[in-house]
Amino acid sequence: MRTLLTNMLLTISLVASAPLLAQEDPLKVGMSGQYFPFTFVEQDQLKGFDVDVMKAIGEEMGRDIQFETANFSGLMGMLESGRIDTVANQITITEERKKAYIFSDPYVYDGAQVVTKEGNTEIQGVEDLKGKTVAVNLGSNFAELLRELPYSDQIDIKTYESNLERDTALGRVDAFVMDRVSASQIIKEKPLPLELAGPTFSQITNAYPFRDTEAGRELRDQVNKALSALRDKGELQTISEKWFGTDITLP
Amino acid sequence: MDVLNVEYMVGLIPVLLGYLPLTLQLAGTGMVLALILACLFAVVRVLRIPVLNQLTIVFISFFRGTPLLVQLFLFYYGLPQLVSALTVIDGITATIMGLTMHFSAYMAESIRAAIVGVDRSQTEAALSIGMTNGQMMRRIVLPQATRVALPTLMNYFIDMIKATSLAFTLGVTELMGATQKEAAGSFLYFEAFIVAAVIYWIVVEMLSKLQHYLETRLNKAYSR
Repeated sequence: MRTLLTNMLLTISLVASAPLLAQEDPLKVGMSGQYFPFTFVEQDQLKGFDVDVMKAIGEEMGRDIQFETANFSGLMGMLESGRIDTVANQITITEERKKAYIFSDPYVYDGAQVVTKEGNTEIQGVEDLKGKTVAVNLGSNFAELLRELPYSDQIDIKTYESNLERDTALGRVDAFVMDRVSASQIIKEKPLPLELAGPTFSQITNAYPFRDTEAGRELRDQVNKALSALRDKGELQTISEKWFGTDITLP
Repeated sequence: MDVLNVEYMVGLIPVLLGYLPLTLQLAGTGMVLALILACLFAVVRVLRIPVLNQLTIVFISFFRGTPLLVQLFLFYYGLPQLVSALTVIDGITATIMGLTMHFSAYMAESIRAAIVGVDRSQTEAALSIGMTNGQMMRRIVLPQATRVALPTLMNYFIDMIKATSLAFTLGVTELMGATQKEAAGSFLYFEAFIVAAVIYWIVVEMLSKLQHYLETRLNKAYSR
Protein backbone atom coordinates (compact mmCIF):
# COMPACT_ATOMS: atom_id res chain seq x y z
CA MET A 1 0.00 0.00 0.00
CA ARG A 2 2.78 2.39 0.93
CA THR A 3 4.61 1.87 -2.36
CA LEU A 4 1.38 2.40 -4.23
CA LEU A 5 0.97 5.71 -2.44
CA THR A 6 4.54 6.85 -3.09
CA ASN A 7 4.12 5.88 -6.71
CA MET A 8 1.06 7.98 -7.00
CA LEU A 9 2.59 10.97 -5.26
CA LEU A 10 5.60 10.61 -7.53
CA THR A 11 3.35 10.55 -10.55
CA ILE A 12 1.57 13.68 -9.37
CA SER A 13 4.79 15.57 -8.78
CA LEU A 14 6.16 14.45 -12.16
CA VAL A 15 2.98 15.51 -13.89
CA ALA A 16 3.02 18.83 -12.08
CA SER A 17 6.66 19.58 -12.83
CA ALA A 18 6.67 18.42 -16.45
CA PRO A 19 6.09 21.88 -17.95
CA LEU A 20 9.02 23.27 -15.93
CA LEU A 21 11.48 20.65 -17.15
CA ALA A 22 10.83 21.27 -20.84
CA GLN A 23 13.81 22.74 -22.65
CA GLU A 24 13.87 24.27 -26.13
CA ASP A 25 10.11 24.21 -26.36
CA PRO A 26 8.62 22.51 -29.37
CA LEU A 27 5.95 24.38 -31.29
CA LYS A 28 2.64 23.28 -29.79
CA VAL A 29 0.00 22.82 -32.43
CA GLY A 30 -3.62 22.09 -31.56
CA MET A 31 -5.92 20.00 -33.74
CA SER A 32 -9.08 17.96 -33.26
CA GLY A 33 -7.83 14.69 -34.72
CA GLN A 34 -11.42 14.25 -35.88
CA TYR A 35 -11.59 16.05 -39.22
CA PHE A 36 -10.94 13.57 -42.00
CA PRO A 37 -8.80 13.89 -44.11
CA PHE A 38 -7.20 16.99 -42.58
CA THR A 39 -6.52 15.54 -39.16
CA PHE A 40 -7.55 12.05 -38.08
CA VAL A 41 -6.27 8.98 -36.29
CA GLU A 42 -5.78 5.49 -37.66
CA GLN A 43 -4.31 2.75 -35.50
CA ASP A 44 -3.02 5.34 -33.06
CA GLN A 45 -1.29 7.32 -35.84
CA LEU A 46 -2.18 10.99 -36.19
CA LYS A 47 -2.44 11.66 -39.91
CA GLY A 48 -3.84 14.05 -42.46
CA PHE A 49 -3.17 17.03 -44.65
CA ASP A 50 -2.81 19.41 -41.71
CA VAL A 51 -0.39 17.07 -39.96
CA ASP A 52 1.84 16.85 -43.04
CA VAL A 53 1.83 20.58 -43.75
CA MET A 54 2.62 21.42 -40.13
CA LYS A 55 5.48 18.90 -40.04
CA ALA A 56 6.89 20.45 -43.21
CA ILE A 57 6.63 23.91 -41.63
CA GLY A 58 8.42 22.63 -38.54
CA GLU A 59 11.23 21.21 -40.67
CA GLU A 60 11.51 24.50 -42.53
CA MET A 61 11.66 26.43 -39.24
CA GLY A 62 14.03 23.92 -37.65
CA ARG A 63 11.66 23.38 -34.77
CA ASP A 64 10.00 20.28 -33.36
CA ILE A 65 6.25 20.13 -33.66
CA GLN A 66 4.20 18.79 -30.80
CA PHE A 67 0.59 18.03 -31.72
CA GLU A 68 -2.06 18.44 -29.03
CA THR A 69 -5.45 16.91 -29.78
CA ALA A 70 -8.70 18.08 -28.21
CA ASN A 71 -12.28 18.48 -29.27
CA PHE A 72 -12.58 21.24 -31.87
CA SER A 73 -14.68 23.52 -29.66
CA GLY A 74 -11.92 23.55 -27.04
CA LEU A 75 -9.02 24.41 -29.38
CA MET A 76 -9.52 28.17 -29.46
CA GLY A 77 -9.76 28.18 -25.65
CA MET A 78 -6.42 26.36 -25.50
CA LEU A 79 -4.88 28.93 -27.84
CA GLU A 80 -6.37 31.75 -25.80
CA SER A 81 -5.03 30.37 -22.51
CA GLY A 82 -1.55 29.84 -23.96
CA ARG A 83 -1.54 26.04 -23.86
CA ILE A 84 -0.91 25.81 -27.59
CA ASP A 85 0.80 28.20 -30.01
CA THR A 86 -1.50 27.80 -33.00
CA VAL A 87 -4.30 25.65 -34.40
CA ALA A 88 -3.88 23.52 -37.54
CA ASN A 89 -7.48 22.52 -38.17
CA GLN A 90 -8.64 24.40 -41.27
CA ILE A 91 -9.44 27.56 -39.33
CA THR A 92 -11.30 29.92 -41.65
CA ILE A 93 -10.35 33.59 -41.54
CA THR A 94 -13.39 35.59 -40.46
CA GLU A 95 -13.93 39.20 -39.37
CA GLU A 96 -14.90 38.05 -35.92
CA ARG A 97 -11.83 35.86 -35.44
CA LYS A 98 -9.59 38.62 -36.78
CA LYS A 99 -10.64 40.77 -33.83
CA ALA A 100 -9.27 38.19 -31.40
CA TYR A 101 -6.34 36.62 -33.28
CA ILE A 102 -3.80 37.34 -35.97
CA PHE A 103 -3.60 34.98 -38.94
CA SER A 104 -0.83 33.56 -41.08
CA ASP A 105 -1.10 33.73 -44.86
CA PRO A 106 -3.88 31.44 -46.12
CA TYR A 107 -2.75 27.94 -47.04
CA VAL A 108 -6.09 26.43 -48.14
CA TYR A 109 -8.75 27.87 -50.44
CA ASP A 110 -12.04 26.06 -50.32
CA GLY A 111 -15.81 26.52 -50.51
CA ALA A 112 -18.77 25.77 -48.26
CA GLN A 113 -20.71 22.74 -49.42
CA VAL A 114 -24.15 21.34 -48.63
CA VAL A 115 -24.15 17.56 -48.19
CA THR A 116 -27.26 15.36 -47.96
CA LYS A 117 -28.12 11.72 -47.60
CA GLU A 118 -27.78 9.83 -50.87
CA GLY A 119 -30.98 9.98 -52.90
CA ASN A 120 -32.26 13.21 -51.40
CA THR A 121 -33.84 15.03 -54.38
CA GLU A 122 -35.43 17.75 -52.32
CA ILE A 123 -32.21 19.57 -51.48
CA GLN A 124 -30.22 20.55 -54.57
CA GLY A 125 -28.28 23.41 -53.08
CA VAL A 126 -28.11 26.00 -50.36
CA GLU A 127 -31.34 27.71 -51.49
CA ASP A 128 -33.28 24.51 -50.67
CA LEU A 129 -32.30 24.54 -47.01
CA LYS A 130 -35.35 26.67 -46.14
CA GLY A 131 -37.37 24.87 -43.49
CA LYS A 132 -34.73 22.17 -43.08
CA THR A 133 -32.56 21.01 -40.21
CA VAL A 134 -28.89 21.51 -41.01
CA ALA A 135 -25.91 20.24 -39.01
CA VAL A 136 -22.65 22.15 -38.56
CA ASN A 137 -19.63 21.58 -36.33
CA LEU A 138 -19.62 23.48 -33.05
CA GLY A 139 -17.23 26.42 -33.17
CA SER A 140 -16.83 26.18 -36.95
CA ASN A 141 -17.57 29.05 -39.30
CA PHE A 142 -20.32 27.28 -41.25
CA ALA A 143 -23.07 28.24 -38.82
CA GLU A 144 -22.10 31.86 -39.40
CA LEU A 145 -22.31 31.39 -43.19
CA LEU A 146 -25.81 29.95 -42.84
CA ARG A 147 -26.90 32.82 -40.61
CA GLU A 148 -25.83 35.29 -43.28
CA LEU A 149 -28.36 33.85 -45.75
CA PRO A 150 -31.47 36.04 -46.24
CA TYR A 151 -33.76 33.16 -45.23
CA SER A 152 -31.60 32.07 -42.30
CA ASP A 153 -34.49 32.37 -39.83
CA GLN A 154 -36.13 29.44 -41.61
CA ILE A 155 -33.14 27.13 -41.19
CA ASP A 156 -32.90 25.02 -38.07
CA ILE A 157 -29.15 24.92 -37.36
CA LYS A 158 -27.92 22.06 -35.18
CA THR A 159 -24.39 22.20 -33.82
CA TYR A 160 -22.36 19.03 -33.37
CA GLU A 161 -19.19 18.24 -31.47
CA SER A 162 -18.46 15.48 -33.99
CA ASN A 163 -20.15 12.71 -35.98
CA LEU A 164 -22.46 14.97 -38.00
CA GLU A 165 -21.76 12.97 -41.16
CA ARG A 166 -23.17 9.85 -39.54
CA ASP A 167 -26.25 11.69 -38.28
CA THR A 168 -26.96 13.01 -41.78
CA ALA A 169 -26.60 9.53 -43.23
CA LEU A 170 -29.01 8.28 -40.57
CA GLY A 171 -31.52 10.97 -41.54
CA ARG A 172 -31.55 12.67 -38.13
CA VAL A 173 -30.83 15.96 -39.92
CA ASP A 174 -31.61 16.90 -43.53
CA ALA A 175 -28.13 18.05 -44.47
CA PHE A 176 -24.79 19.23 -43.15
CA VAL A 177 -22.53 22.03 -44.28
CA MET A 178 -18.79 21.54 -44.44
CA ASP A 179 -15.92 22.48 -46.71
CA ARG A 180 -16.12 20.95 -50.18
CA VAL A 181 -12.73 19.28 -50.10
CA SER A 182 -13.21 17.11 -47.04
CA ALA A 183 -16.86 16.44 -47.88
CA SER A 184 -15.89 15.00 -51.28
CA GLN A 185 -13.12 13.00 -49.66
CA ILE A 186 -15.45 11.50 -47.05
CA ILE A 187 -17.95 10.51 -49.74
CA LYS A 188 -15.23 8.95 -51.85
CA GLU A 189 -13.43 6.97 -49.14
CA LYS A 190 -15.85 6.24 -46.33
CA PRO A 191 -18.82 3.88 -46.20
CA LEU A 192 -21.50 6.54 -45.68
CA PRO A 193 -24.45 7.08 -48.08
CA LEU A 194 -23.95 10.80 -48.68
CA GLU A 195 -23.82 13.10 -51.69
CA LEU A 196 -22.90 16.68 -52.51
CA ALA A 197 -25.92 18.93 -53.06
CA GLY A 198 -25.23 21.63 -55.60
CA PRO A 199 -22.15 23.83 -55.99
CA THR A 200 -20.23 25.53 -53.19
CA PHE A 201 -21.91 28.67 -51.90
CA SER A 202 -19.21 30.68 -50.20
CA GLN A 203 -15.45 31.01 -50.62
CA ILE A 204 -13.44 30.23 -47.52
CA THR A 205 -9.77 30.81 -46.87
CA ASN A 206 -8.05 28.94 -44.09
CA ALA A 207 -4.95 29.88 -42.14
CA TYR A 208 -3.17 29.48 -38.80
CA PRO A 209 -4.35 31.71 -35.94
CA PHE A 210 -1.92 33.13 -33.38
CA ARG A 211 -2.29 35.18 -30.22
CA ASP A 212 -2.01 38.90 -30.87
CA THR A 213 1.10 39.37 -28.72
CA GLU A 214 4.67 40.18 -29.59
CA ALA A 215 5.65 36.51 -29.40
CA GLY A 216 2.59 35.58 -31.45
CA ARG A 217 3.41 38.08 -34.19
CA GLU A 218 7.00 36.87 -34.34
CA LEU A 219 5.84 33.28 -34.63
CA ARG A 220 3.36 34.20 -37.36
CA ASP A 221 6.16 35.84 -39.38
CA GLN A 222 8.30 32.72 -39.04
CA VAL A 223 5.42 30.49 -40.13
CA ASN A 224 4.68 32.77 -43.09
CA LYS A 225 8.30 32.54 -44.16
CA ALA A 226 8.22 28.77 -43.95
CA LEU A 227 4.89 28.63 -45.81
CA SER A 228 6.12 30.69 -48.72
CA ALA A 229 9.33 28.64 -48.91
CA LEU A 230 7.25 25.44 -49.06
CA ARG A 231 5.05 27.03 -51.71
CA ASP A 232 8.09 27.98 -53.82
CA LYS A 233 9.55 24.49 -53.54
CA GLY A 234 6.23 22.98 -54.63
CA GLU A 235 6.04 21.00 -51.43
CA LEU A 236 2.69 22.47 -50.41
CA GLN A 237 1.27 21.34 -53.74
CA THR A 238 2.76 17.86 -53.34
CA ILE A 239 1.13 17.41 -49.93
CA SER A 240 -2.21 18.64 -51.25
CA GLU A 241 -2.11 16.28 -54.22
CA LYS A 242 -1.21 13.38 -51.98
CA TRP A 243 -4.41 13.86 -49.96
CA PHE A 244 -6.86 15.35 -52.45
CA GLY A 245 -5.52 14.67 -55.93
CA THR A 246 -5.74 18.40 -56.56
CA ASP A 247 -4.05 21.58 -55.35
CA ILE A 248 -6.22 23.27 -52.73
CA THR A 249 -3.47 25.60 -51.57
CA LEU A 250 -4.04 28.06 -54.43
CA PRO A 251 -6.95 30.48 -54.75
CA MET B 1 -27.25 -1.97 -42.83
CA ASP B 2 -23.51 -2.22 -42.69
CA VAL B 3 -21.93 -5.45 -41.60
CA LEU B 4 -19.96 -5.30 -38.36
CA ASN B 5 -16.29 -4.86 -39.17
CA VAL B 6 -14.82 -7.43 -36.77
CA GLU B 7 -11.32 -7.19 -38.17
CA TYR B 8 -11.30 -3.46 -37.41
CA MET B 9 -12.49 -4.11 -33.85
CA VAL B 10 -9.80 -6.69 -33.17
CA GLY B 11 -7.15 -4.31 -34.49
CA LEU B 12 -8.47 -1.55 -32.26
CA ILE B 13 -8.20 -3.53 -28.99
CA PRO B 14 -4.42 -3.19 -28.47
CA VAL B 15 -4.54 0.45 -29.57
CA LEU B 16 -7.22 1.39 -27.06
CA LEU B 17 -5.68 -0.75 -24.30
CA GLY B 18 -2.61 1.47 -24.65
CA TYR B 19 -4.67 4.32 -23.23
CA LEU B 20 -6.06 2.35 -20.30
CA PRO B 21 -3.06 3.09 -18.03
CA LEU B 22 -3.70 6.83 -18.32
CA THR B 23 -7.38 6.32 -17.55
CA LEU B 24 -6.48 4.27 -14.47
CA GLN B 25 -3.82 6.77 -13.45
CA LEU B 26 -6.34 9.61 -13.56
CA ALA B 27 -8.91 7.65 -11.56
CA GLY B 28 -6.37 6.10 -9.17
CA THR B 29 -4.68 9.38 -8.29
CA GLY B 30 -8.04 11.11 -8.07
CA MET B 31 -9.34 8.40 -5.72
CA VAL B 32 -6.37 8.53 -3.31
CA LEU B 33 -6.49 12.33 -3.11
CA ALA B 34 -10.29 12.37 -2.83
CA LEU B 35 -10.17 9.82 0.01
CA ILE B 36 -7.69 11.93 1.97
CA LEU B 37 -9.72 15.08 1.42
CA ALA B 38 -13.00 13.33 2.19
CA CYS B 39 -11.66 11.92 5.50
CA LEU B 40 -10.55 15.41 6.54
CA PHE B 41 -13.94 16.84 5.63
CA ALA B 42 -15.76 14.06 7.45
CA VAL B 43 -13.75 14.58 10.64
CA VAL B 44 -14.33 18.33 10.48
CA ARG B 45 -18.04 17.74 10.06
CA VAL B 46 -18.34 15.10 12.80
CA LEU B 47 -16.38 17.14 15.35
CA ARG B 48 -18.11 20.36 14.18
CA ILE B 49 -14.84 22.31 14.24
CA PRO B 50 -15.91 25.97 14.04
CA VAL B 51 -15.18 27.94 10.83
CA LEU B 52 -13.74 24.85 9.10
CA ASN B 53 -17.11 23.17 9.45
CA GLN B 54 -18.89 26.03 7.70
CA LEU B 55 -16.25 26.19 4.95
CA THR B 56 -16.53 22.45 4.40
CA ILE B 57 -20.30 22.71 4.13
CA VAL B 58 -19.97 25.37 1.40
CA PHE B 59 -17.28 23.36 -0.43
CA ILE B 60 -19.33 20.18 -0.40
CA SER B 61 -22.43 22.07 -1.46
CA PHE B 62 -20.64 23.63 -4.46
CA PHE B 63 -18.82 20.56 -5.72
CA ARG B 64 -21.85 18.33 -5.25
CA GLY B 65 -24.17 20.93 -6.70
CA THR B 66 -22.44 21.57 -10.02
CA PRO B 67 -21.69 19.22 -12.91
CA LEU B 68 -18.19 17.76 -13.08
CA LEU B 69 -17.82 19.01 -16.66
CA VAL B 70 -18.50 22.59 -15.53
CA GLN B 71 -15.84 22.22 -12.83
CA LEU B 72 -13.30 20.83 -15.31
CA PHE B 73 -13.88 23.73 -17.69
CA LEU B 74 -13.56 26.17 -14.78
CA PHE B 75 -10.17 24.75 -13.75
CA TYR B 76 -8.79 24.35 -17.27
CA TYR B 77 -10.17 27.21 -19.34
CA GLY B 78 -11.47 29.56 -16.64
CA LEU B 79 -8.68 29.95 -14.10
CA PRO B 80 -5.88 30.91 -16.56
CA GLN B 81 -8.08 33.75 -17.75
CA LEU B 82 -8.00 35.27 -14.25
CA VAL B 83 -4.38 34.43 -13.44
CA SER B 84 -2.31 33.72 -16.52
CA ALA B 85 0.34 31.83 -14.51
CA LEU B 86 -2.28 29.13 -13.91
CA THR B 87 -1.67 27.90 -17.44
CA VAL B 88 0.71 25.46 -15.71
CA ILE B 89 -2.43 23.49 -14.88
CA ASP B 90 -2.33 21.06 -17.77
CA GLY B 91 -5.19 18.83 -18.85
CA ILE B 92 -4.13 15.90 -16.67
CA THR B 93 -3.72 18.05 -13.57
CA ALA B 94 -7.04 19.79 -14.16
CA THR B 95 -8.78 16.44 -14.58
CA ILE B 96 -7.29 15.08 -11.36
CA MET B 97 -8.22 18.31 -9.53
CA GLY B 98 -11.77 18.11 -10.81
CA LEU B 99 -12.20 14.41 -9.98
CA THR B 100 -10.65 14.90 -6.52
CA MET B 101 -12.83 17.80 -5.49
CA HIS B 102 -16.02 16.54 -7.08
CA PHE B 103 -15.83 13.06 -5.63
CA SER B 104 -14.42 14.11 -2.24
CA ALA B 105 -17.62 16.11 -1.75
CA TYR B 106 -19.72 12.98 -2.22
CA MET B 107 -17.37 10.70 -0.31
CA ALA B 108 -17.15 13.06 2.68
CA GLU B 109 -20.85 12.61 3.27
CA SER B 110 -20.77 8.82 3.15
CA ILE B 111 -17.70 8.66 5.39
CA ARG B 112 -19.40 11.02 7.84
CA ALA B 113 -22.49 8.85 7.81
CA ALA B 114 -20.38 5.74 8.45
CA ILE B 115 -18.64 7.37 11.43
CA VAL B 116 -21.88 8.65 12.91
CA GLY B 117 -23.40 5.23 12.33
CA VAL B 118 -20.98 3.47 14.71
CA ASP B 119 -23.01 2.61 17.79
CA ARG B 120 -22.71 5.06 20.69
CA SER B 121 -22.05 2.23 23.15
CA GLN B 122 -18.78 1.54 21.29
CA THR B 123 -17.40 5.02 21.91
CA GLU B 124 -18.64 5.00 25.50
CA ALA B 125 -16.95 1.67 26.13
CA ALA B 126 -13.71 2.92 24.60
CA LEU B 127 -13.68 6.07 26.71
CA SER B 128 -14.61 4.14 29.86
CA ILE B 129 -11.44 2.05 29.67
CA GLY B 130 -9.37 5.21 29.42
CA MET B 131 -8.73 5.59 25.69
CA THR B 132 -8.07 9.08 24.42
CA ASN B 133 -10.25 10.56 21.70
CA GLY B 134 -7.58 9.80 19.09
CA GLN B 135 -7.17 6.19 20.25
CA MET B 136 -10.89 5.75 20.25
CA MET B 137 -11.13 7.02 16.65
CA ARG B 138 -8.21 4.95 15.36
CA ARG B 139 -8.87 1.69 17.17
CA ILE B 140 -12.61 1.53 17.62
CA VAL B 141 -14.58 3.92 15.42
CA LEU B 142 -12.69 4.06 12.10
CA PRO B 143 -12.26 0.28 11.61
CA GLN B 144 -15.98 -0.18 12.06
CA ALA B 145 -16.81 2.82 9.91
CA THR B 146 -14.54 1.53 7.13
CA ARG B 147 -16.57 -1.62 6.87
CA VAL B 148 -19.76 0.37 6.47
CA ALA B 149 -18.29 2.92 4.04
CA LEU B 150 -16.46 0.45 1.78
CA PRO B 151 -19.28 -0.46 -0.62
CA THR B 152 -20.23 3.16 -1.28
CA LEU B 153 -16.59 4.23 -1.66
CA MET B 154 -16.00 1.49 -4.22
CA ASN B 155 -19.09 2.72 -5.99
CA TYR B 156 -17.58 6.18 -6.23
CA PHE B 157 -14.31 4.76 -7.52
CA ILE B 158 -16.16 2.92 -10.26
CA ASP B 159 -18.02 6.10 -11.08
CA MET B 160 -14.73 8.01 -11.16
CA ILE B 161 -13.17 5.61 -13.66
CA LYS B 162 -16.03 6.30 -16.00
CA ALA B 163 -15.92 10.04 -15.29
CA THR B 164 -12.36 10.17 -16.68
CA SER B 165 -14.00 9.93 -20.10
CA LEU B 166 -14.65 13.67 -19.80
CA ALA B 167 -10.91 14.39 -19.84
CA PHE B 168 -10.72 14.54 -23.64
CA THR B 169 -12.68 17.79 -23.53
CA LEU B 170 -9.52 19.16 -21.87
CA GLY B 171 -7.28 17.67 -24.52
CA VAL B 172 -6.24 14.61 -22.50
CA THR B 173 -6.27 11.60 -24.80
CA GLU B 174 -7.38 8.82 -22.48
CA LEU B 175 -9.40 5.77 -23.43
CA MET B 176 -12.48 7.70 -24.55
CA GLY B 177 -10.48 10.39 -26.38
CA ALA B 178 -8.52 7.78 -28.29
CA THR B 179 -11.75 6.02 -29.21
CA GLN B 180 -13.38 9.23 -30.43
CA LYS B 181 -10.44 10.00 -32.68
CA GLU B 182 -10.25 6.48 -34.08
CA ALA B 183 -14.00 6.53 -34.76
CA ALA B 184 -13.79 9.89 -36.50
CA GLY B 185 -11.01 8.57 -38.73
CA SER B 186 -12.73 5.33 -39.72
CA PHE B 187 -16.39 6.42 -39.44
CA LEU B 188 -16.96 3.04 -37.79
CA TYR B 189 -18.62 4.40 -34.67
CA PHE B 190 -20.36 1.28 -33.43
CA GLU B 191 -17.24 -0.85 -33.69
CA ALA B 192 -15.03 1.71 -31.95
CA PHE B 193 -17.35 2.55 -29.07
CA ILE B 194 -18.36 -1.04 -28.35
CA VAL B 195 -14.67 -1.94 -27.93
CA ALA B 196 -14.24 0.98 -25.52
CA ALA B 197 -17.40 0.03 -23.63
CA VAL B 198 -16.24 -3.55 -23.15
CA ILE B 199 -12.83 -2.39 -21.87
CA TYR B 200 -14.47 -0.13 -19.27
CA TRP B 201 -16.84 -2.92 -18.35
CA ILE B 202 -14.09 -5.49 -17.77
CA VAL B 203 -12.13 -3.06 -15.59
CA VAL B 204 -15.19 -2.31 -13.47
CA GLU B 205 -16.00 -6.03 -13.19
CA MET B 206 -12.50 -6.66 -11.85
CA LEU B 207 -13.01 -3.93 -9.27
CA SER B 208 -16.32 -5.47 -8.23
CA LYS B 209 -14.45 -8.71 -7.57
CA LEU B 210 -11.93 -6.80 -5.46
CA GLN B 211 -14.78 -5.18 -3.55
CA HIS B 212 -16.35 -8.54 -2.84
CA TYR B 213 -13.03 -9.89 -1.55
CA LEU B 214 -12.47 -6.86 0.71
CA GLU B 215 -16.01 -7.06 2.07
CA THR B 216 -15.61 -10.71 2.93
CA ARG B 217 -12.39 -9.96 4.78
CA LEU B 218 -13.84 -7.04 6.71
CA ASN B 219 -16.89 -9.08 7.63
CA LYS B 220 -14.88 -11.96 9.07
CA ALA B 221 -15.20 -10.59 12.60
CA TYR B 222 -18.95 -10.47 12.25
CA SER B 223 -19.58 -13.91 10.89
CA ARG B 224 -19.74 -16.93 13.09
